[in-house]
Amino acid sequence: MGNLRSLVVKEIKELIRDPKILLGVVLMPLIMYPIMGSAMSISQQSMMRAMASASFAVYNEDEGAVVDSFLAYIYTNNTVHTIEAGSLEEAIVKFQETNASTLLYVKEGYSENVTRGVKANLKLYANLKSLSIVETESPNAISGLINLYSYYLSISKIQGYIAESGGVAEPDAIRSPIQTTSASIIKGNVLEVAPSAIFGLVMNQSITLPMMTMLVLVFAIQMAATSIALEKEEKTLETLMTLPVGRMTILGGKLAGSILVSILGALASMLGFGYYMNSAFAFAPEMTSMTTEGVGLGLKPFGVALVGINIFITLVSALALAICLSVFSDSVRGAQSLTGILFIPIFIPALILMFSDIKMLPTTMQWILLAIPYTHSILASKAAFLGNYSAALGNIAYITAFTVVVLFIAARIFSTERILTSRFSLDGLRNLLRRR
Amino acid sequence: MVDAIQVEALVKNFGNVEALRGASFSVKDREVFGLIGPNGAGKTTTLRILSTLISPTSGYAKVFGVDVVDEPEKAREMISYLPEEAGAYQNLSGLEYLEFMADFYDNGSRSIADMLEEGKQISGLEERLKDRVKGYSKGMKRRLLLARALMMKPRLAILDEPTSGLDVLHAVHVRQTIRDYVNKQGVTTLISSHNMLEVEYLCHRVALIDEGVIIAEGTPSELRDKFGAQNLEEAFMEATRLG
Repeated sequence: MGNLRSLVVKEIKELIRDPKILLGVVLMPLIMYPIMGSAMSISQQSMMRAMASASFAVYNEDEGAVVDSFLAYIYTNNTVHTIEAGSLEEAIVKFQETNASTLLYVKEGYSENVTRGVKANLKLYANLKSLSIVETESPNAISGLINLYSYYLSISKIQGYIAESGGVAEPDAIRSPIQTTSASIIKGNVLEVAPSAIFGLVMNQSITLPMMTMLVLVFAIQMAATSIALEKEEKTLETLMTLPVGRMTILGGKLAGSILVSILGALASMLGFGYYMNSAFAFAPEMTSMTTEGVGLGLKPFGVALVGINIFITLVSALALAICLSVFSDSVRGAQSLTGILFIPIFIPALILMFSDIKMLPTTMQWILLAIPYTHSILASKAAFLGNYSAALGNIAYITAFTVVVLFIAARIFSTERILTSRFSLDGLRNLLRRR
Repeated sequence: MVDAIQVEALVKNFGNVEALRGASFSVKDREVFGLIGPNGAGKTTTLRILSTLISPTSGYAKVFGVDVVDEPEKAREMISYLPEEAGAYQNLSGLEYLEFMADFYDNGSRSIADMLEEGKQISGLEERLKDRVKGYSKGMKRRLLLARALMMKPRLAILDEPTSGLDVLHAVHVRQTIRDYVNKQGVTTLISSHNMLEVEYLCHRVALIDEGVIIAEGTPSELRDKFGAQNLEEAFMEATRLG
């Protein structure tokens, strides 16, 4: 046990003191994400300010009385440039000379149409000087005002018709006679909440879990590959293998050291990413006051335990796999390139399952994904989150079986001279293929 | 009394390359034994088999009667191996490196503090031991590694080209340390080298190895006499000529 502790402490010191790892894995996420978040926040805030202070221009060709009340409404609380021109073409030229981003064109006949009960047409021109988001979104602000005015105008007219006909009805019900509301059923419980709101609530977990798993795996693979390759590059492996300590203890030390440093890296990333999300989207209003616990989707202690076990086993398998691959390289760079191929079976299921349910995919795709062990890591976390413990245990059993196989291979490599003599080369691969 | 090393008909093939072709020799307890030969003669392969790093294709190698293939962990408890191109952990200090290594030999017979004290003296690096290894010169690294290999007083020290690539000052320090320490402490030592004068200076007995087989064995004076040579270098040349 003392030897294992020494090996783990040595691994951590070697990895953490390596500037590439300290900077790339631990410090960069803590610095980069907050900087990105602040930059995004500044940009969003300036956009919000620009949109709030957006001004309009109005070119009115209608001379009726009805348009006056509409224009008075538009002029209230907004900066409006009135364009005086003899034609629309001239108005457009003059509009471009102002700092207004949208021109509201009131066609002749507006008042007459509104009075007669015929659709009155307005047209919006957006002046896209720099093609910024503020410019492209600017017509939305005045559209919102127009829609609101249009709604109350229609309600007022319907009220007038009802009064004229002597009937009894709600003007809003006549305007929109059918109304639908949605509810969601979760684990047999009916919740008076729209499914889209539930999705918004669980989206955080359904994206965070695969992303967290993916991040930890990527860091762990890098750590393990670096750890073995450093031993080879610095010529320390031979000495290590002749020490009076079991080869399995050496393997255990490598796994434990890499896991601890990769967890540190993942925590730094999550911390930095959390700060990024908070600062980048600080302007967004809270969409719902619901909690996952409130809708019965919170993780129970057993679920938390399953997620923990799942992530741990997944980590061990990825590390053991990275160690198996990295023994074929003599340098850190070579080992990292070689273990880079492991990112494919990790990224593909994570990205697909982030936005889709496995059952929605074509059958062949389902089987391909299910054959990849790391699909089960994500499925297990999702199942635990939904309280489907038997499915989670099944997924964990699959990844455990895979881990046992990989650990066995890693142990075989560590207990033989292959750890010192194995080399990956294109020539070797070619010879192997020729022999086959 | 059982021999410290017993190597019999050792063969090692790497694919189509025959690194050892039936090498046999033995080393007595407390003896300093030199294995000398040119590059590619099979010296390092022999040492790596004795250190349990690789297995022979056929034949056997025993350390104090323990077969290195059948009981590698038991063999590793008795040996200390210094590879030719060994390195130390760059991000540890020299002292941390020695502490890390001493921990594996803390079996009650000697305390870690005793081993560290011994290591400090053998290395002679004094205050520089507090610095990270990445700042060491090649000679300093070799002195640290030699201290690591000897500080726990192993029953068998296996030193592969201990002065290879060192400047004169460091090479002399390493040679003197080996001679003084192993003779004083009675540590059986197997040294490989292609520097025959160095082996003559350090070893009680030597074996000449060429193309994977032992071509002559004896004390330096016996070999000189046998081949009518002034030194081991000439003896080796004569032995390979007669081959």
